[in-house]
Amino acid sequence: MVTLLNTIDTGHEDMIHGAEVDYYGLRLATCSSDNSVKIFDIKNGSQTLVADLKGHGGPVWQVAWAHPKYGNILASCSYDRKVIIWKESGDWVKLYEYGNHDSSVNSVAWAPADYGLILACGSSDGSISILTCNVEFGTWDSKKISNAHTIGCNAVSWCPSTVPEPGFDQKTIRSGNIKRIASGGCDNCVKIWKEDQDRWVEESRLEAHSDWVRDVAWAPSIGLPRSQIASCSQDRRVIIWNSEDLTTWTPLILHTFDDVVWNVSWSLTGNILAVSGGDNKVSLWKENNENQWTCISDDSNASSGASEQRAL
Amino acid sequence: MKELNCIKRHNHSIWEHRDLQATAMSVDWTGQWVLRAGRRHLALQKLDENEDSSLKKYHRNSKYDVSAAEWAICENSQEYCAIATSQLIEVVTWSSGDPTLIYSLRAHTRMVTDIDWHSKEPHLLASCSIDTFTHLWDLRDPRKPILSLSAVCMSGATQVGFNRVSGNLLATAHDGDLRIWDIRKGSCPQQYITAHLARIHGINWSHNHEHYLTTASQDGTVKYFDVNNSRRAEKIITVSSPVWRARYTPAGNGLITVVVPHLGRGENSLLLWNNNKQTEPVCSFEGHTDVILDFAWRPNRDSSSTDIELITWSRDQTLRLWKIDESLLRLCDPPQQETEDEAADMQLGSWSTVKTVRKNPSSKSLTEQPSCSLQHEFSLLNTNISHIDFEVLDPIKRHALVKVSANGHMIVLEINFPSNYPSPNVPPEFIFCENSSINDSLSISLLKVLKTHALQRVKKGRTCMEQCLRALVTALKRSTGGGDKTQLRLQSPRLEGALSGTLHDACIPFPKTSGAKFNTSGLFVTFSQPLNTKRISLRRQNITPRALSAISGGYLGNVMGSQPVLYAHRDTSTSAFYIQDRHRKNFRSRSSQRASSNAVINVYDVTKLLNISKTLSEQYILDKTNIVRTCRHNKAVAETTDRPELIQAWNLAEMIASSCTPEDIVYGNLFQTNPFQRHLLNSLITHFAKHGDIQTAVMLCCTFDKFCSKPEPHQGYGHNSVSISPAHSPYHTINPVEFSNDHSWNLAMQVKQLRSNSWSDSLDWTELKQLNNEINRSTFKKCQKNLFDSFIKAYAEVLFSWGLLPARAMVLKHLSSPSDAVKGVEFPIECVFCNRVNKGPSCSNCKRLLLRCTICRIPVKGAANACLNCGHGGHTEHLKKWFETRDMCAAGCQCRCLDESQHVLNDLLQL
Repeated sequence: MVTLLNTIDTGHEDMIHGAEVDYYGLRLATCSSDNSVKIFDIKNGSQTLVADLKGHGGPVWQVAWAHPKYGNILASCSYDRKVIIWKESGDWVKLYEYGNHDSSVNSVAWAPADYGLILACGSSDGSISILTCNVEFGTWDSKKISNAHTIGCNAVSWCPSTVPEPGFDQKTIRSGNIKRIASGGCDNCVKIWKEDQDRWVEESRLEAHSDWVRDVAWAPSIGLPRSQIASCSQDRRVIIWNSEDLTTWTPLILHTFDDVVWNVSWSLTGNILAVSGGDNKVSLWKENNENQWTCISDDSNASSGASEQRAL
Repeated sequence: MKELNCIKRHNHSIWEHRDLQATAMSVDWTGQWVLRAGRRHLALQKLDENEDSSLKKYHRNSKYDVSAAEWAICENSQEYCAIATSQLIEVVTWSSGDPTLIYSLRAHTRMVTDIDWHSKEPHLLASCSIDTFTHLWDLRDPRKPILSLSAVCMSGATQVGFNRVSGNLLATAHDGDLRIWDIRKGSCPQQYITAHLARIHGINWSHNHEHYLTTASQDGTVKYFDVNNSRRAEKIITVSSPVWRARYTPAGNGLITVVVPHLGRGENSLLLWNNNKQTEPVCSFEGHTDVILDFAWRPNRDSSSTDIELITWSRDQTLRLWKIDESLLRLCDPPQQETEDEAADMQLGSWSTVKTVRKNPSSKSLTEQPSCSLQHEFSLLNTNISHIDFEVLDPIKRHALVKVSANGHMIVLEINFPSNYPSPNVPPEFIFCENSSINDSLSISLLKVLKTHALQRVKKGRTCMEQCLRALVTALKRSTGGGDKTQLRLQSPRLEGALSGTLHDACIPFPKTSGAKFNTSGLFVTFSQPLNTKRISLRRQNITPRALSAISGGYLGNVMGSQPVLYAHRDTSTSAFYIQDRHRKNFRSRSSQRASSNAVINVYDVTKLLNISKTLSEQYILDKTNIVRTCRHNKAVAETTDRPELIQAWNLAEMIASSCTPEDIVYGNLFQTNPFQRHLLNSLITHFAKHGDIQTAVMLCCTFDKFCSKPEPHQGYGHNSVSISPAHSPYHTINPVEFSNDHSWNLAMQVKQLRSNSWSDSLDWTELKQLNNEINRSTFKKCQKNLFDSFIKAYAEVLFSWGLLPARAMVLKHLSSPSDAVKGVEFPIECVFCNRVNKGPSCSNCKRLLLRCTICRIPVKGAANACLNCGHGGHTEHLKKWFETRDMCAAGCQCRCLDESQHVLNDLLQL
């Protein structure tokens, strides 16, 4: 079921902390403790180093590709308290540098392309910054949710713009074009922020984790009138939050893992969840017809799963 | 040292053990065994007064001193003893005669400073550490703390104490500050109390009152706090030396303090106080010749005696046992007149069953007649309060004059007592006389202090003079160097914490070394450390730490300055943390650099898991002229995959389609003959959508949607010769990327022809109108249509990322409402005859066709382009062919269309 297309030796001189493939699946960006960001061309199984971006003064935690309609743009965040936005215009150059955080910036996420070129950044200083690009003038405007999470914010994720429209029943859930962000932090909470005029206000607070939340991921929406958020934590659990009206969220514990869980990521239609954690294992989870989540990448299971585990 | 005017007692028993060098002491639940723990020995002694040498020594060799040792205090877990050494807490028992390690609790990253057992839950204990965390452990799951309390501050936690009454509250000390936590909600402290100016050495909760605790501090004070009213201490004992410990007596109303004399040695270091009298101790216990390291109450399991026994361990290497008999305890009891609530709540009782008895407050207020109570109050007044001289006390005129001198100020305070004082809300009146040496702002703030304290007391019908005067002195003392700042500090320790940004660096999450991420086009990228570098040795005892400080711990708390101190000391970096094991396993020494770069990134194609296939979308057709053939073809395509459910779905689709004629679909009569088909189709679409298979859902939607009903000769992809993408049309002279922001350009130029740069809009506008009229007869209900639209949009996005633009356009045509407004250059079209701006090929007013192709002379309905200069244009295909070889306008107007259009656009861009 899963075919390995490419194995890339990045040549980073230290630990890799993040990797992301661009929209078309043609390029791979990686970031590492060696303070650099690298971009590889992975078209048709090749692996050519396109750029080695140096600009951060500390380990780089995460990279994120913007929607290609704005050009080839990549954001990276680092321990050095900076967020750098890189753009390819012939060469890769620094488009913008944001340094208004007081501690390590742990997470960056681009807003759905419909909203414009907007980046959310979560930092260990407890705040979330929202950087909006005025594409016409190339200027950047920043807003800050200060003290979003006491002690620190570890992850941010945007609500998809394809908001659930009125569904099969006549119950109308019209969220219009309200922007929302889910964030997770050291206060063990997942919080949902909503843009209210020009401010960001806390809409919901999801409390179920018993330790730091390390990652949150808002599931892509295909239009069905429900929202899902996955969150993972130092408490070794992954929780799926379900909501039909974006106000009441019901937690469902996906699984308690052997080690802390660091990453959650949804597939493009939101039916598969990838989980990775401190034991360096990656597993894929799928919801069956009875709304139960099963691991579909078990060692003993399908041969493809086994091959994947070996590859990992 | 000032000679103390109190009873002196000597120890009851004494044992001397010269070589123990123990740093911690604890008495077990039975009260028979005393443990002393040090770097080299654990010593267990039976407290049997007959034998002197019942000491058992167990050798241990540790690099570190024992920082804390505590026997469990619940009967069910009485055999457990927790011993903290460096970062580790060991729980041991002596069931086999020798100390046996039962649990090892690891989570702290710096030295553990204190341990406390829960008094009701036998499995629960709390530990605090220099790493600023306080962990709660449940011995039934000792692998990791069940709760971690994170104090956002620069200073580590030095003391921890469970509330003895409710067991839900927990107090921790961080330098001079107290944090009160509720373990039911551990994400942030319930209270911040700025208790002392110097480090707190001891916390002790009251045995009887849920909200009372005392703190002993380096600043030479012991403070009594009510955590429900923690703005200021209720009572303060002031001594001249740092106070090491302050503990409530298990019965009675007393408090024992251990004082550390300035010169290290001294007598009178162990004192018993009456909780209602802070001026001088009740009793001094004399005997130790050096600093007392720790003391403990000996639980009295034998109910025949009501004596309380105290065991002390001192640096003079002696263990002493003291008896506090009832006569001493009675001295701690408040004189009846001075009864206070908390005192009333206390009563003598046995160790294990302390009951709280609450006096009826109403009966009390009856006994206290206001008129006589002023006289009474004056007579009870402690006239020896430091800094205060009583000049006049006149109960008849209900008036007092007090001189306060502190901190370089001299105040003469006049107090007038209303006749119904101290009934609720009748505080005395305070006036500063003219010869007071304070400025206005200070006098206002001091008056405020007096008033709040007075109100607090009289609210309960109590006298207030002494408390007010004491508060006045305290406030006056604090007033130096900007009293406002002190106020600020008191009010918001949170703010204070936020001021030093660097403290946040303590909570940077531990770096991720593995990850997994999907992308929009169905790729899946993973990275992780290779298996052989897994931290096998660490795994056994510890899960992955949560904070970066675990590996760069040395910087914790002292990272000052505007720039972060990077964990760039490469030898202690993340990779080194992981590579350690590798070195151990791999004797052929490789360079660590090499090893660390071994993390491999894998890119997978997971489209099969996603139920969406690129090949399928390439091969599916959508021929609306012959739906049966479309279904059959798509079924054949589906057969090439291993998804039988798709074949079934297309089979059903074919059956639906074959039961009606193409005309039915065109005119929206599809399901009029057989309503079951509509339900079948709906449930098919919903089913696939719910399983994330938007591909099939959208294809079914589109196939049966009558929306795009007009037969078009080249609608099947096979015949579609158009290969230009909308985003990269040759007629776009500028990169579309630059345009696609939130504003669109409406060029009200003299262009009278249509030139659409949208792929689908111009094709569909007529059908769109029709749809609005005939929505009731449509295949799908309107509410579903909205849902299906979002499916279509989602699928279109996937197709876009795959670069399947024609397929995307085909699908997008089925949107019931036009997609988002075109962002970019838009060309409105104006009717030559009626001057109306129109959308579409014919004028809405005069019905004349608007744009005739300059080449074939036929009116244009589909994709069109026009020259920006002369306005001539026509079918995109024709124009494209024309301008391949020529650059002059086909209409013969001598316009060099390509060049001119370019100029116009350039000019526009510069505007």
